[in-house]
Amino acid sequence: MNCPRLKSWFSERYDFEEMKSLAKQKLVPIHKYEIWYYTGGIVLFLFIIQFITGMVLSFYYIPYFEQAHKSIIDIVTKLNMGWFFRSLHHWGAQIAIVVLFIHVWSTLLLKAYRKPREFLWFSGFILLGISIFFGLSGYLLLWDERAFAAVRVATGGAGNLPVVGEFIKSFLRGGIDVTGDTLTRFYAFHVSVLPLVTLALIGLHVLLVQYHGMSVPLSVKKEERKEIPFFPNLFYKDLVIWLVVLGIIVSLATFLPPEIGKKADPLAPAPENIKPEWYFLFLFQTLKLFPGEILGLNGETIAILLISAGIFFFFLIPFFDRKSQRGEKSTLFTWIGVIYFLYFVIMTVFGFIS
Amino acid sequence: MKIDFSLVSRRTFLNTLFGGWLVAFMGGSFYGLLKFAFPTLGKEPDFVILKPEDYLNIPDNSVKPFAWGGKLGLFFKHSNGSTAALKGVCTHMECNITYIPQDKKFYCACHKGWFDENGKNIEGPPPKPLEFFDITFEGDKLIVAKKGIKVELPKA
Amino acid sequence: MMKPMIIALAGILLSALNLFAQQDKIDVFPAVPYDRFIVYQNLIIFWIGIIGLIVIIKMKLREIERTQKMGIDKEEKDIPLLD
Repeated sequence: MNCPRLKSWFSERYDFEEMKSLAKQKLVPIHKYEIWYYTGGIVLFLFIIQFITGMVLSFYYIPYFEQAHKSIIDIVTKLNMGWFFRSLHHWGAQIAIVVLFIHVWSTLLLKAYRKPREFLWFSGFILLGISIFFGLSGYLLLWDERAFAAVRVATGGAGNLPVVGEFIKSFLRGGIDVTGDTLTRFYAFHVSVLPLVTLALIGLHVLLVQYHGMSVPLSVKKEERKEIPFFPNLFYKDLVIWLVVLGIIVSLATFLPPEIGKKADPLAPAPENIKPEWYFLFLFQTLKLFPGEILGLNGETIAILLISAGIFFFFLIPFFDRKSQRGEKSTLFTWIGVIYFLYFVIMTVFGFIS
Repeated sequence: MKIDFSLVSRRTFLNTLFGGWLVAFMGGSFYGLLKFAFPTLGKEPDFVILKPEDYLNIPDNSVKPFAWGGKLGLFFKHSNGSTAALKGVCTHMECNITYIPQDKKFYCACHKGWFDENGKNIEGPPPKPLEFFDITFEGDKLIVAKKGIKVELPKA
Repeated sequence: MMKPMIIALAGILLSALNLFAQQDKIDVFPAVPYDRFIVYQNLIIFWIGIIGLIVIIKMKLREIERTQKMGIDKEEKDIPLLD
């Protein structure tokens, strides 16, 4: 595969030597925490899979509320391997969010957000929000009973934010209630708005990683460390891991294809025991903890305020964690990270079993 | 027979093996993706079954459309009362044609092509005559079939 | 270390899906046994493909590390990036 003539044709027009030498300089440190370096790449890979499967599915999905549900049934029953690509898209999304959470918490606990990488944390946080919205908007497209009720609850919950709540709720819903307009709006988000914003942000995020290099956790910083070149060593290791992930997703898609319920009826009562997607469960358990009224104020509003404060703090952690800014060990914030993680896991588990 | 020097270097061997396997793997996966992305290309039907009462009573010198797969079919009653069926698709660029009773001709508006009542192309760009079908009756069914096709009805 | 983590994740997700599975039955997987077998066969071929690729990549990595240890990778200027 050498084709010297092809290579010389290109090299007469583009300076590949410069790019190659730049690429060769990309080094990755190895230490006992290096396994967490792979999480970002896995999320990227899963997003690529989502883009591809999503694009093909959008050839056949009909985003009109009368026909959306049926179009999915048609995809699953009538088209060549339709069930598989829908299943793959579903599992790609689930695993992407799982690995995304792993990625977020590993960067939090290893304090990769400290100086000079603050913008990586901020862009990453926005990407987290976008990914969750990807999940919510994609889920409504099913237009079955569960999805409909879940979105009603989720957008209704957003409405409890003070001041901006009602505005956000009607923006998301495209009106007062969840209707066909909501479906159109969510479809626009899911296939157009969010992908473009995601591409831009991922581009920025990855570019910043190239610029700053990989962050080394404070506890191993002082050791004498080897650095491996990314090309070719880590590229191939990445590739191996991506292939394993692909195999897992394909197997999950084959053995556990997702179901689809009855078509949504806006006038029907909510089905029994309705629950949102698992990555929302911790929020809903938290809301359930608060009584209807506290000291004369709406309990839900207080809950949402507290949750928002928690999320805001999470967003601004690079500025709050002064010690790691200076390059010192910051056990307080390690504990804060652990608490966030445990809270998420425990509340999610409660959400499941209740 | 052992040779002193290997025929290819390790690097070439590994790279070829890798490249080849990768191409096969990606090709296979991509094939699956393409099978899904491309719609099953519809063939035209060999015959369609119509209800006689809907079509036999149309006035003389008129047409009634029916579905020929996804395309237009025309059930045609000549001015002398004899019946015919044809594909209502112009042989030029596949636009739908219409029947002009006053002139007893079929007309295609896309490029102003004209066919006579037997389907022969008489004016304009169409290169070939219109395609006519065979009409048969089976019990209480009106069957419109491609010329030369032996119609076998499923035993309902 | 990665493997047990992945298996644990799969286990959690399996049990998660079970909780949501009480719906009206729409066929989301080919019902005909003939089709099912083809699907499982293809899955096995797919895995063979993946494992084959992983084995070959590991072979390449071994070779790369061998040459890097010897230091001869610095001698040749023109080595393609992915070698």
